Amino acid sequence: MSEARVETEEERVARIARGIVVVREGHGANCSSVGSVVDTLFAAAVVGGAVLAAVAAALAKEPVRVAGTRETKGAAGADAATTTSKNEEPPT
Amino acid sequence: MIVRYEPWGAWAKTESPPALVALDRDAVRAIGLDGGAVWTDAPRASAPLEAHVAVTSRCAAGCTGCYLDARPDGDEPPQETMVSALDDLAKAGVFTVAFGGGEPTTREDLDVLAREARLRGLTPVLTTSGLGLTPEKIARLRAFAQVNVSYDGGGEEYARVRGFDGARHAEGAIQALVAAGVRVGVNIVLTRATWGSLDATLERARALGACEAQLLRYKPAGRAASLDYLAQRLTPEQARELGPKLRAIVERGVPGFRIRIDCAMVPFFSADPSIDASTLARFGVLGCEAGDKLVALRVDGRIAPCSFAAPTGLHASDVESRREDAELSTWRAWNASPAEPCASCSLRAVCRGGCKVVARFVDGAHGPDPECPRVRAHREAERAHDTTTGSGTSCTPNALSTPT
Repeated sequence: MSEARVETEEERVARIARGIVVVREGHGANCSSVGSVVDTLFAAAVVGGAVLAAVAAALAKEPVRVAGTRETKGAAGADAATTTSKNEEPPT
Repeated sequence: MIVRYEPWGAWAKTESPPALVALDRDAVRAIGLDGGAVWTDAPRASAPLEAHVAVTSRCAAGCTGCYLDARPDGDEPPQETMVSALDDLAKAGVFTVAFGGGEPTTREDLDVLAREARLRGLTPVLTTSGLGLTPEKIARLRAFAQVNVSYDGGGEEYARVRGFDGARHAEGAIQALVAAGVRVGVNIVLTRATWGSLDATLERARALGACEAQLLRYKPAGRAASLDYLAQRLTPEQARELGPKLRAIVERGVPGFRIRIDCAMVPFFSADPSIDASTLARFGVLGCEAGDKLVALRVDGRIAPCSFAAPTGLHASDVESRREDAELSTWRAWNASPAEPCASCSLRAVCRGGCKVVARFVDGAHGPDPECPRVRAHREAERAHDTTTGSGTSCTPNALSTPT
């Protein structure tokens, strides 16, 4: 009887990277209009890849806080969030 | 990071690098999380990603194009009202609160409000003219993730947009904030007068220590909702040139200095066939998200679709139920089933019809952004057809939509 192989950290980060649908870089630091970084848009593909890799690494290691709560947790077993979507397509 | 579950996965806001990321369910599970009831129960309305919060309508600058019509004797909501609003926005699941005004630094409690925002998991950012910044005020701004200074150019460009020469004050503010350890960006309003000096303005901002520039379209709201708007807005040629100009800027750019465009600039990409919607969407470029992923909180506490739009009767406590509001629904309804030429536009899903504040001012109604190159071409073709066939009228929907 075989046991399921444990996912390596590298594989886990790669799985996160594959599941990134949208990346909006930066803080969005304007009080009137929604601003979007366009550097990556016009840069070489390798720059876009580097951005995705950096974000995936951050997603894998940063402590998690669920929106609408004050609790911070390391991983797993997250509470239900306070907000959901209705009739909204994935942001693709 | 802050995570907000959605039926399709989750939004996650990371700290380093700072980014807002949409993840599918498998990626969420790979982080060690599960959407639980959000993934299994009937969906409810989604919260905005970003809230623009006017913390005062007080401002002595008197910019001729102020979208809020801010004045020296403007209102300033009490701190407890602002904290209560932050509570409502955080509970709804908003990620970023952008403080503006009026001139927000006229408030004495900005550091308190920024800390209260962070306590609730909100990322606080701020926009200032930079006028009247004292060391004490600058110290308060260190609580913000980023501060943007309005800076339309180092020469006469500033005065041509705002009606007074405040460039030196803005430059001093950028330098002082950077010296204080604040992450600083600049907001550059693009008009036909500032367009030609954009490269020099960017270079000057970078040399002063700014790390980012946000390019803003001039919008007909507040004091700018006048005939002067027609003389200030970008020419059709300048609008068509946006894509190539940005590409050239990025190609010779400096690492660490970012370029942003605002939501109202996206329709100008319709003139650039090398820009495709999937790439725009992949890197989170947002078009008109008024009343949807964006909400604005006016100084009187009322919610507006965006900072430039008239307020609804809703308040911060209504953010979660805002989708039921009739006025906000009209902003989204047009995006759902737009008329031509938006209906067949490849950028439609991202652009979402362009700036509705401009459309309302120029055409008098929600509709295709009249300054979008594709819309201009479509209307010119229709006029030519009408002239050829003798059908219809030669009148545009509104006299203001005549190309200039």
